[in-house]
Amino acid sequence: MTSSLTDLRRDVEDFLYREAKMLDEQRYDEWLGLFTEDVRYWMPITETREVRQHRDHVPGEWSLMEEDARFLAKRMERLAGGLAHSEQPRSRTRRFISNVLVTPGPNGDLVVECNFIVFQSRRANSEQFFVGSRRDRIVTSGESWKIAERTVLLDHRVLPRAISIFF
Amino acid sequence: MTSISERPVDVAAAGLHDLVKPDEGAVSRTVFVDEAIYRTELDRVFTKTWLFIGHESQLSEPGDYLTNFMGEDPVIATRGADGAIRVMLNSCAHRGMAVCSTDAGTSKFFRCPYHGWTYSNNGDLIGVPRADTVYNGELDKSRLGLKAVPRVETYKGFVFANWDENAIPLVDYLGADQLWYLDLAFEAPLGGLEVIGPTMKFRIKANWKLAAENFAGDDYHVLYTHGSAFQIGFLPDYDMLADYIAHFDHGHGMGDISKPGRAYQNDVGMAQFLGPEAIEYVTAVHERLQARVSPLQAEMHGLGEGNIFPNLSWIKFGVFHVFGLFQWHPKGPGEIEVWQTALFDRGAPQSVKDFARTQMSQENAAAGIFGQDDGENFEQITESARGVVSQTRDFNYAMGLGHEGEVHEEGYPGHLGPHYSEQNHRNFYRYWLELMTTPGEQK
Ligand code: FES
Ligand SMILES: [Fe+2]
Repeated sequence: MTSSLTDLRRDVEDFLYREAKMLDEQRYDEWLGLFTEDVRYWMPITETREVRQHRDHVPGEWSLMEEDARFLAKRMERLAGGLAHSEQPRSRTRRFISNVLVTPGPNGDLVVECNFIVFQSRRANSEQFFVGSRRDRIVTSGESWKIAERTVLLDHRVLPRAISIFF
Repeated sequence: MTSISERPVDVAAAGLHDLVKPDEGAVSRTVFVDEAIYRTELDRVFTKTWLFIGHESQLSEPGDYLTNFMGEDPVIATRGADGAIRVMLNSCAHRGMAVCSTDAGTSKFFRCPYHGWTYSNNGDLIGVPRADTVYNGELDKSRLGLKAVPRVETYKGFVFANWDENAIPLVDYLGADQLWYLDLAFEAPLGGLEVIGPTMKFRIKANWKLAAENFAGDDYHVLYTHGSAFQIGFLPDYDMLADYIAHFDHGHGMGDISKPGRAYQNDVGMAQFLGPEAIEYVTAVHERLQARVSPLQAEMHGLGEGNIFPNLSWIKFGVFHVFGLFQWHPKGPGEIEVWQTALFDRGAPQSVKDFARTQMSQENAAAGIFGQDDGENFEQITESARGVVSQTRDFNYAMGLGHEGEVHEEGYPGHLGPHYSEQNHRNFYRYWLELMTTPGEQK
């Protein structure tokens, strides 16, 4: 690996860690600012199938989340409004990001893959881990990095609870 | 100062009639947490009623299969070489291993991973390793198939099964009054309904009845539980959406029923916002309804949500809403495994499909803004019902008590009630009580 790629990965890790911290600290307005205006945020449903009958996630099938920037902003507005009972009071979360791989793409884009574990502690005794992987396309222009596409793959077939947090 | 009522906490000391009093609008919290009552439910409710298995579009070819649950019993549904759909227990006749561990797929047979007994997809035992030597050729394979669910019936593509051989036919169980409404969802699609992706599954640490009764017509909660959706403009004024609720025989209930014309107007308004393809689509669907259902049904145009007793809830507003199914699979008295299936019109334009699909994920799904908040209620209600003092305080279902039958809309079948009433909850528990106090025969 060239040292420039190592440097690049370090920068990407820094970006991802800062993003995770924003979410853990519920700095949602800042988090929204990390996405392009035409972002595609996609979290398909995981299936269990026979070895030779595996299917890839199919765009156009219904998903856990399939959002644009407008609806992500609506979700943030909802959280800020005080009537979102699933996050009132807020869950405590802790995000762990690892196994970061960076592949430079055309036009200065970066394809960034990582694994994550998110711990959620809700109210007094609702606790769960969400585990999965992410694949982002990050567009870069100089110092400014924005996420233009994010695919979140949760490894759970049965989610431990409804999703009120972000990945 | 709260006083402790006369309600005995000990279930053994109290008959179910004392715990559940639908006509007084009172249901004891005990029935949401008690293990013995839960076991009785599995036996007397879930083996006596028609339970949803899947949609024919999921089993389109011979050999296709899917797995599901009936109560806590795992089942496989298959389409055989003869084209028939069968439902059988997903548990090996030898020593109980699951013979299928996947969601869905295609297979002519199921081989048990434990000792390799092999079943055809119609449930017959067709292969036993070394049967001639280890069983001395004496094993009667004909008696060791997968246990078949005796009754499997379909209504307009929706497959249901029932463990009770003597059950009334599915169409009578659903009932003509309820189907008068539901037919709108089945007849409107231009190209028929199809399942639009995998089943979404998640857990809620709550009793299954809390979710079922909610969808049966608890429109009252929408105003506050889903207040955030109104706050951010996801929904218009709720009173603009619907006018009535209705309940039916066999515990079924339905909410957000609108006066003739209202749902069509709402869809037309939505179409203006969505664009020309959507405008054309609303017109085409409305014309199709006019050709296929009664004039009043066509004028009604759209639905709301409901619960098909015991644990199949659904949601379907106008033509831009998917037909969403929720199976509240019980996993003990304090836990639900939610299985959500989404269906939409195969014949809708792509732009309408895209809108409907994403809107459902954002609304009433695992990460949807409605789904999240509902689960929060059900969990904390269940948690509080465990306390011995809270068990002395019955849940209150008194809204509209003494005023039933006062609402009328010409031609609308079922027991109609005002938009906000707990009449449907009472109907749910009336049927639940009837089943729970009817001893079952030997299965
Ligand atoms: S348990 Fe299935 S073959 Fe033994
Ligand atoms: Fe709700």
